[in-house]
Amino acid sequence: MRNVHVHRHPGRSLRPASLRAAALAAVAMTAVVLGGCSSSPGSSNATSSSAATVAAPGTANSGNITWWASPITSSGADPRTVLVTAFEKAYPDIKVKLISAPTDTDTNRATLTTQISGGAGPDVYMGDVIWPAQFAAHQLADPLSKYLPASYFGTFAPGLVAGATYKGQVYGAPFFEDQGFLYYRKDLLAKNNMKVPTTWEELMTDSRTIQSKGEAQYGYVFQGASYEGATCNFMEFLTDAGGAVLNKDSTSSAVNSAAALKALKFEQELVTSGVSPKAESTYQELQSMNEFSAGKSVFLRNWDYGYSTSQAAGSAVVGKVGVAPMPTFGGESTPGYSNIGGWNLYVNPHSQNVAADLTFIKWMTGNDAQKILATQFSEIPTNQAVRTSADVIKSNAVLAVVPQTKLVPRPAQTPFYPQVSTAIYTNVSAVLAGSKTPATALKDADSAINSALSGGGL
Amino acid sequence: MSTDRAATPPSLTSRRTLPPETVRKKDVNRRRMARLGWYFSTPALLVVAAVTIFPVVFSLVMSFSNVQVLGSGFQLSGLTLGNFHTVFGSVKWRYALGFTVLYTVVTVTVEVVLGTMIALVLEHLRALRGWMMALLLIPWSLITVISAQLWNYIYDPTYGAADAIFSAVGLGHPVILGSNASAVIAMMVADIWKTTPFVAIIVLAGLVMLPGDVYEAAEVDGSNGWQTFWRITLPLLRPTIALAVLFRILQAFGLFDLPFVLTQGGPGYATTSLAVLGYQAMFTNLSFGPGAAVAVTTAALVVIGCILFLRVFRAQVNEGEES
Repeated sequence: MRNVHVHRHPGRSLRPASLRAAALAAVAMTAVVLGGCSSSPGSSNATSSSAATVAAPGTANSGNITWWASPITSSGADPRTVLVTAFEKAYPDIKVKLISAPTDTDTNRATLTTQISGGAGPDVYMGDVIWPAQFAAHQLADPLSKYLPASYFGTFAPGLVAGATYKGQVYGAPFFEDQGFLYYRKDLLAKNNMKVPTTWEELMTDSRTIQSKGEAQYGYVFQGASYEGATCNFMEFLTDAGGAVLNKDSTSSAVNSAAALKALKFEQELVTSGVSPKAESTYQELQSMNEFSAGKSVFLRNWDYGYSTSQAAGSAVVGKVGVAPMPTFGGESTPGYSNIGGWNLYVNPHSQNVAADLTFIKWMTGNDAQKILATQFSEIPTNQAVRTSADVIKSNAVLAVVPQTKLVPRPAQTPFYPQVSTAIYTNVSAVLAGSKTPATALKDADSAINSALSGGGL
Repeated sequence: MSTDRAATPPSLTSRRTLPPETVRKKDVNRRRMARLGWYFSTPALLVVAAVTIFPVVFSLVMSFSNVQVLGSGFQLSGLTLGNFHTVFGSVKWRYALGFTVLYTVVTVTVEVVLGTMIALVLEHLRALRGWMMALLLIPWSLITVISAQLWNYIYDPTYGAADAIFSAVGLGHPVILGSNASAVIAMMVADIWKTTPFVAIIVLAGLVMLPGDVYEAAEVDGSNGWQTFWRITLPLLRPTIALAVLFRILQAFGLFDLPFVLTQGGPGYATTSLAVLGYQAMFTNLSFGPGAAVAVTTAALVVIGCILFLRVFRAQVNEGEES
């Protein structure tokens, strides 16, 4: 009986005609809004200028840009706002709006990809060092070498620009670097008259000795869960053993080798011998860091924040931690390899203000910003001059070790890198969980990598 | 809440008789108002179409095309079965399918059995029922990402509650999320903990609605509690349980958040469900074609599964009615 209600008070009710008009207006507005959502990817075709030989100016003195970056540190002052403030002081007419990106790297990539392929997204974004090939192949990043001279790329530490290059073009400006380090318990080694191990075999025997005395529960904690970190750790063992994941031109798998078997068998032995926890197949950085900070392990493999985290309040090992380059296998030249991590700055192909973007990127990779990152936030600078400068080296124990380390990138020179990495970490983690033998795991990884490289993998 | 089964039927509403011309005029008015109603609901319907129908159709189209995700947008070309070829040929997909089916069958079965038992108990509680229901609903009302994180703490091999319990009863320190079988079981436990209350509430609603006279007749005939349950309660509850099972199959088959938080699909790819696999294909590998094929195949499988379930269920009900 409700619908009669309107007609009972004709004076107060709206007339049907105006009601209908209101309804139609609502429909029209919805259609416009929805249409707006879906039409942008198509229309963006017209504005994309990827193939054109646009000689955008390398600098600008004014403009507004958006910078997409995930949090760099988890406590204290935010390096991103510190840097933006310093930049705006140097370029008062360029305004930078910081957009805080998701902390999870995969979520970060997913969000960026959908935004950029939808014709939108930030002007400059901070992205992982393993993204260049994939982002280049999908035209999600503008090649920086199109605008910036070779002399600019010569200011970076060796190897970093190569990692950001795909098919002869540089896609990302190295912003800050990261790499694997060996953290050790100074007190326990001293007590047992041991020097810092330079080989994996040495690390194993030292661990066993200390464990057998009950001075620590574990010898070595690292990352072995089914995620990207397990690939990073495996790359270090693999390169130490003399192996590689891909052939030279990244066209086929080279992972089913004797060297790889040696590396993976060693990783397995760490767990089966009790030198590493049984739970390694679930360990990401957090879990391994927690064990080490709780004083449960003699050695830890972690990124550069491992030192400051182990010295933070609540840690049981304050003042007892040393940092060294990674060990290698006996008979190989020391030190062992450290896997490269870290972040690059990329330009969105849809950016309307490339000149300001480049000004921002050049400043962020220049002396001032890099020094702030190193001395105030303990990040490893990418700028070679800053990296080797005396005040940076003496500012922090980890930065002092950096010049002694040997680096190896992940096999990210293929746009199919995510599948290649998945093939590695799922199989490594399966070996650590005890569900596969090293030989089977390498065979499975080999065929998964080959089908990924042929574009046929899932 | 009263559980009086012999409630009196609602009294018939008396119909007023109106003169014929009033009826006609009212009909016209009603039709006009109905049309206006459609106009007003169109914006909402358009939004629903945009957020459900469009993505569904777009996924279907992508699964049959060569999809290139470029900075300039999605480029679809050709009509191909290649994506499905990739999917069906993948060891990982076959494993994910097996895992998802096993997970669905086990969790739904356990949840229905446990949920029905809880509902039967709840039905007999009088004063406490409200409190018990409120307590039971806590797991169900928690967002899965948060409850999964809670389970993550419980399963933690270093300081987790489960580890403490296992070692206290002399089972050592099993690494729960670190081996294939225990990781799968741990995930099922987390799901059962969360969704059993949902099944219990639905079944309880069904129980409350059962007609009381049948029970009185059974009592008169000397039926014991066990017989009453198997011969009367369960057959009468069938439609309700079927509804609960359908809801649960649809949800369990789309398993994503638990593995995403607890294991990221590991160890190895032991807990990679179809949804996680599709997500990785699309958003990590940027292979939207094969990713869409995974999504479409999963949807097709779950629809077929539900139809089969309903067929079997209906046949059983018909049999029950005939006998």
